[in-house]
Amino acid sequence: MATSRDVGRRSLLKAAGGSLAALGVAGTAAACGGSGSGSGGTVTIRYAWWGAEDRAKRINKSIALFEKKHPKIKVKTDFQPYLDFWKKFNTQASGGNAPDVFQNAIGFLRKYDARNVLLDLTAQAKAGELRTEGFRAGLEKFGEVDGKLLGVPVGSNSMALVIDKKVHDKAGISPELGWTWDDYYKSLRRIRDTQKTAGNGGMHGIMYLYDPYLRQQGKAFFTEKGLGFTESDLVEWWEEGLAGVKSGLFADPKKVNQIKPKSPTADGLAAGEFTWDNFAVRYTAEGDSAYDLAPIPTSDGKKTGQYLGSLMLSGYKRTQHPKEVATFIDFMVHDPEVARIMGYDRGVPATTAQYEAYEPDKDKDPVLKKVNTSIAAYEDSLVEAKVLGPITPHPEGADVVEAAFLRINEEMALGKRSVKDAVKQFFTESKTALGG
Amino acid sequence: MTSPSSLKSAGPAAAPAAAGPPDRRAPRPPGLRARRRRENLAGYLFMSPWLCGFLLLTAGPMAVSLYLAFTDFNLFDSPKWIGLDNFSEMFGDARWRKSVEVTLLYVVLGTPLKLAAALGVALLLAQKRRGQAFYRAAFYAPSLVGASVSVAIVWKAIFSDDGPVDRAQRGLFGVDVGGWIGDPDWVLYSLVVLTVWQFGAPMVIFLAGLKQVPQELYEAAEVDGAGPWRRFWNITLPILSPVMFFNVLLETIHSFQIFASAYIVGGGAGGNACGPADGSLVYTCYLYVQGFENSRMGLASAMAWMLLLAVGLVTAVLFWSQRRWVHYEGGVGSR
Repeated sequence: MATSRDVGRRSLLKAAGGSLAALGVAGTAAACGGSGSGSGGTVTIRYAWWGAEDRAKRINKSIALFEKKHPKIKVKTDFQPYLDFWKKFNTQASGGNAPDVFQNAIGFLRKYDARNVLLDLTAQAKAGELRTEGFRAGLEKFGEVDGKLLGVPVGSNSMALVIDKKVHDKAGISPELGWTWDDYYKSLRRIRDTQKTAGNGGMHGIMYLYDPYLRQQGKAFFTEKGLGFTESDLVEWWEEGLAGVKSGLFADPKKVNQIKPKSPTADGLAAGEFTWDNFAVRYTAEGDSAYDLAPIPTSDGKKTGQYLGSLMLSGYKRTQHPKEVATFIDFMVHDPEVARIMGYDRGVPATTAQYEAYEPDKDKDPVLKKVNTSIAAYEDSLVEAKVLGPITPHPEGADVVEAAFLRINEEMALGKRSVKDAVKQFFTESKTALGG
Repeated sequence: MTSPSSLKSAGPAAAPAAAGPPDRRAPRPPGLRARRRRENLAGYLFMSPWLCGFLLLTAGPMAVSLYLAFTDFNLFDSPKWIGLDNFSEMFGDARWRKSVEVTLLYVVLGTPLKLAAALGVALLLAQKRRGQAFYRAAFYAPSLVGASVSVAIVWKAIFSDDGPVDRAQRGLFGVDVGGWIGDPDWVLYSLVVLTVWQFGAPMVIFLAGLKQVPQELYEAAEVDGAGPWRRFWNITLPILSPVMFFNVLLETIHSFQIFASAYIVGGGAGGNACGPADGSLVYTCYLYVQGFENSRMGLASAMAWMLLLAVGLVTAVLFWSQRRWVHYEGGVGSR
């Protein structure tokens, strides 16, 4: 009896050991599979970005083209929505396993440079793998931090007022570049009184709007190290916001909250809102009215306090393949065919080659044709009017401050905090986030 | 641990006995010890999936997290030892205190209501009637799907502005709160209702407990003229109290750990992860924000250990209190 049991157990053990070993081998193989260099001289690089399905389709098409032109480089992609993207990225980067190339934005350059994550592309540019000329509107400077080239702009965007064209036409309002905040509030009152709807979905928690507003007064949201405004500035701004919510100029924050992630303008809760101009296409997709871009109101009839923002491509400092990374970035930024595939998805293309390659009024998609033509017209008008200045710096922790600004404004608008209390809370949290 | 050492000492002690009159145990196979060792090895090998899992996925990370709780760690730079600073920052943070308040309210409201619902339904289902199995399955179903993301999304739709609840509220009571989800004062109650609705698990345990109540006690009580309320109060409840204790313990601990439903109902997509104006800022939600959105893993670890301490304390209090209200058959404190 003992022998038969032993045999049974031994063979069982063997089987168990064998399968464990198999698991182990499979495990290591899987773990190693992710790390780039393949056989036969081809190199695999990983490219991660944030966005949605539509961007994914365009990017995959661009990559197919890239792989055809560079048969020795394979590109593996990965994408998430914006907030999830950074969570995943942080985790990967802290484990020394960040993607070789990734989408980036100007607000994150200093933050990730301080954490030793960003590849300085200067050497690759000098070696001729990456062209740094041929950019529009001084955009090539956007990726430079302390003499290092940490990102390459792929497109430019700017803040704008997206308006529900039908409501504005009915109310008889046509915004023009150079209109003032007084004009704007007058238009909000007219929309409320004649169209029985809020004129704006709520604007006092948007850092990228308060920033140009402050810049109109010679201040800014951030300085190199901290906040560029005082508590009394913010008290004034938020008191105006709270009064607007109470009097119905701005949409009910409770309702706005519940339709997320849809926007209040697309949902019909409001007749307009401030946002980035390259988001304009989503309104046409989400809502059933007609939408247009209007300029940012001014304080003195001239300055809008605006600047161009930009999406970028950055490399990972510890990548095994800096040369291939540079080749890929160069392709995505300069290749005219890519511009025709991507359209204005990443903003108005950053290089003249790509800018000229895609003509929005010739887009086959009627919606994109309309939206992108108006984006191009909007950015052209900004350049012509010479209202664009250099972008406000973003110190490390700026992203946390931006989120706190949005959240605390909402608490105030919902009546959970007095304006004074909200301002105090915001300054306390900012101090922690910006490191004292 | 004890068995190998006792075996070792048994070896030499058995040897002189072998010199005496021959007995059945005398001829010990020479390879016994080796074989024992092999068996132990086999035992550990069979345990290894669990052991590796425990060491690598539970014990190890817990130890690291305990260390991180006393450091400043942003995921990138190496952790910097800062002693108790994380804890003092926590206590000084108004948002942290708010999250404690929200969580306590959720636990204090949600747990008793859920258990009351579970017990009530269990009492009804314990009676023998046709279709009993169907009813049991039907009432248990919400708990099966309850923890899923999809239910939280459905919940969000039900309690939103112009959702079914909002419309019913306006129609029946003439009260317009404009949807629970968007209102900082109401959003937490939608989570309480969600947890109460998922009473299936404690209900099943109550049902099992009810089966244990000896029928003759009821018969005797009935003969003595006890009414249904009296029978429930003096027979059912005392005999059910150990089961009750188990359920209270489990549900309380679960309630402290609420995350998924709060994260999804409370926002997710917007700038705010934890409900309008932090209305449903439960503790784990704030922990998540600090750790993964603000990249402050040291602080988040400290918060996690604070939660563990709090849950441990509550558990200890519950265990201490059971002397006063939990009745074990076979004598007080026999277990």
